[in-house]
Amino acid sequence: MKKERARINDISRKTEEPLSNVLAQDLIPLPFTCDDAIPIKPLTEEQKNRIESSLDGISALGIPKPKNKEKEKKLIESFLQGLKKLLSQKDNWTFWQPLIQSLESCVRCQTCNDACPIYVSTGKQEIYRPTYRGEILRRIINKYLKKGGKSLAKLKGEDIELNWTTVARLAELAYRCTMCRRCAQWCPLGSDNGLITREIRKLFSQEMGIAPKEIHESGTVQHLKLGASTGITPKAFENIVQFMEDEIEDKTGKRTKIPVDKEGADILLLHNSGEYLTWIENPVAFAIIFEAAGLSWTLSSELYGYEATNYGVWYDDIQFARIALKQIEVARKLKVKKIAAGEGGDAHKELVVIADRILIDEMNFPRESFLPLLADLVYNEKLKLDPSKNNFPVTLHDPCNVVRLMGIVEPQRRILKKICPQFKEMEPHGVENYCCGGGSGFAIMSQMNFPDWKIHISGRMKLKQILDAFQDVLDPSIKKYVCAPCSNCKGQIRDLFRHYNIGEKYGIRYGGLVELVVNAMVDIEKPFIEWE
Amino acid sequence: MASIIKLLQYAKAPLHLRWELYQGSSVYEFPDGWNKSNLTLWQKFKSVIIDVAFLREYYHRNRRLWIFLYLFHVGLYLLILWHAWLFLRALTLPIESTSIWGLLWGHIATALTFIGGTGILIKRIVNEDLKVYYPSIHYVKWIFLLLTLIGAFYAVHIHFNAHMPALLKYVKEQVTFQNLEHKLHPAAAPASHVLFASIWLIYFPFSHIMKLYFRYYHHLRWDDVPNVRGSSIEKRVKELLDQPVTWSAPHIQPGKRWREVVSEISHHGEGQGQ
Repeated sequence: MKKERARINDISRKTEEPLSNVLAQDLIPLPFTCDDAIPIKPLTEEQKNRIESSLDGISALGIPKPKNKEKEKKLIESFLQGLKKLLSQKDNWTFWQPLIQSLESCVRCQTCNDACPIYVSTGKQEIYRPTYRGEILRRIINKYLKKGGKSLAKLKGEDIELNWTTVARLAELAYRCTMCRRCAQWCPLGSDNGLITREIRKLFSQEMGIAPKEIHESGTVQHLKLGASTGITPKAFENIVQFMEDEIEDKTGKRTKIPVDKEGADILLLHNSGEYLTWIENPVAFAIIFEAAGLSWTLSSELYGYEATNYGVWYDDIQFARIALKQIEVARKLKVKKIAAGEGGDAHKELVVIADRILIDEMNFPRESFLPLLADLVYNEKLKLDPSKNNFPVTLHDPCNVVRLMGIVEPQRRILKKICPQFKEMEPHGVENYCCGGGSGFAIMSQMNFPDWKIHISGRMKLKQILDAFQDVLDPSIKKYVCAPCSNCKGQIRDLFRHYNIGEKYGIRYGGLVELVVNAMVDIEKPFIEWE
Repeated sequence: MASIIKLLQYAKAPLHLRWELYQGSSVYEFPDGWNKSNLTLWQKFKSVIIDVAFLREYYHRNRRLWIFLYLFHVGLYLLILWHAWLFLRALTLPIESTSIWGLLWGHIATALTFIGGTGILIKRIVNEDLKVYYPSIHYVKWIFLLLTLIGAFYAVHIHFNAHMPALLKYVKEQVTFQNLEHKLHPAAAPASHVLFASIWLIYFPFSHIMKLYFRYYHHLRWDDVPNVRGSSIEKRVKELLDQPVTWSAPHIQPGKRWREVVSEISHHGEGQGQ
């Protein structure tokens, strides 16, 4: 039986029934058989009664249902207040111009549709069409915020009712897009639906105080309070550095002192703090390379100095600016020459590019990616490397923030081509890459049944790409490596691999770029990459 | 005038945070790329010309729609140029001696615009994706446009009998107010075309092509000018940081200035939205 497509006006339909239920048969097939009979487990009856989930039966935000009509009314008023601010040059100077231009410029040619991995992966569910949320927002603005809007909306056939159901569904809808901005890259007129998504998130956070717990409460709030989103304290960081030194000794046979808080160093290296907790081999590899190359560099043990992420970039300008300033302040106090962002895509874009226009005077501090530096070390033979040590199939996942959003495309390829004889691109790649499915906070969001959604839907295209890239060597006895130079992407790929048992089934592991460089270093006898 | 107002509106918009996209390698691939800019003025100019003349992005991303869009736009550009030529020709040279090329130019341009416009309208009616959110008012716009083109063809080919000297004479009289009788009691066919075309002229500043530079090239592709110390960008940032923050969520203290709010740490946020 053909499923009925949701329409724009359905967003206001007062019903508990989701507008769309993604079924197994809707999903694009993966290159292997998998048990996806019920891809997303439904919420329990208790959860359904308590929280809003009428968009698609998923809850990313856990928005509680208002207790009475009065509360509903207040929330709707608050939403409209926020919307007015979003459209005001003074209140929203940070993104007013690109937002207005994105709202005005869409000609509904739907060219962007096929660029969206979520829309395509779900067999083109209407609610995931990249233009769906922008169209809803546009119609609400036209009807409720423009003169004569109500009469015109009826006349134009664009009538939309703004009730609590609309608001709650729109809030959830803002968390069904990874903001990879592939749609914006595709748009011939430059309408940026990724930005529209972000601005809706911002409205909910900055005006209504609604944001995913993992991004706000345990994210930026914790980051500002404790110094890192993972909650690592300076004392714990000291222990981590010691552990890193032990690891280096174990791998290289030499004890190395990792520079911490070294005043006046050329480079302050900022890692996502998640690397220290989950993928310690990544900061270890950086330390080995930088020491081997004789660079003047340092880590920081100051609050905010060992955390490169800034979750604010996904949903809240104020939190974003607060964190960016704290990070810069650390570098300024250390009197280093520049900050280099490690393997974290979000950190790259937010710190190097987006923060540029909130930094003034002495806070206007040099910041760049680690990639040009690493490419220089590898390509100009400042490290002794033996590519035969990396003689296994390798493919590269491009973090959206690094390629499409920043234009760093070639250095990582030049490195891989030099040190990995069996390097093979996945398709598409570079600025046309697909998101890992964990972008814009999804990799860390784990409330209720949202993890199912990010595994089966937002990450589906990436998993397909990875398996397609290795289709000739899928035999598990052939060890294969997905190079994902981004902490966030690694988190998502880890969850995808774990769910589908990719490591055991196909012998594929994932990791960063620097690990491959160290694995190829002549002076290190033991293999750096561990396959078990 | 409306175009100038629109341009000023865009020019006066506040500086925003950077949010650009890249179609390939950028200066960030090089050490110290943070304080460099990507494209030269000439590179930008070349890119605009290619995009506007060939609708390059549609060609790459949506070929089936591009075919009709391209015919339509080429026709439209030729029509605009033809009208400019018509005015210049009528005012500067003797109108009795004209070649067939002027008439042919007008007819080809009208035909291309008409074929392209009809194709787009049909696609907008039959294609599920193209009609899904397309505002109904735009269907009226397309029909009106096709009627304008039919009216133009009628005026030139039937009313003026495809006779260029007669057309040029009419244009000259209209522009120079030589024949008040014609001004006061105009012939229906050319007068209605002038009226329809004038409505399109009023619409032009609000059309998508006019906004193209500001929305597309400016903020998406080329907004990579670094904020260097002492620059005009830094000056504008300083002014913006003095703006009051008005947002009302618990983790923000409305009423204070941006620079104050972002320098403070708010521990509010526990239980947000719960």
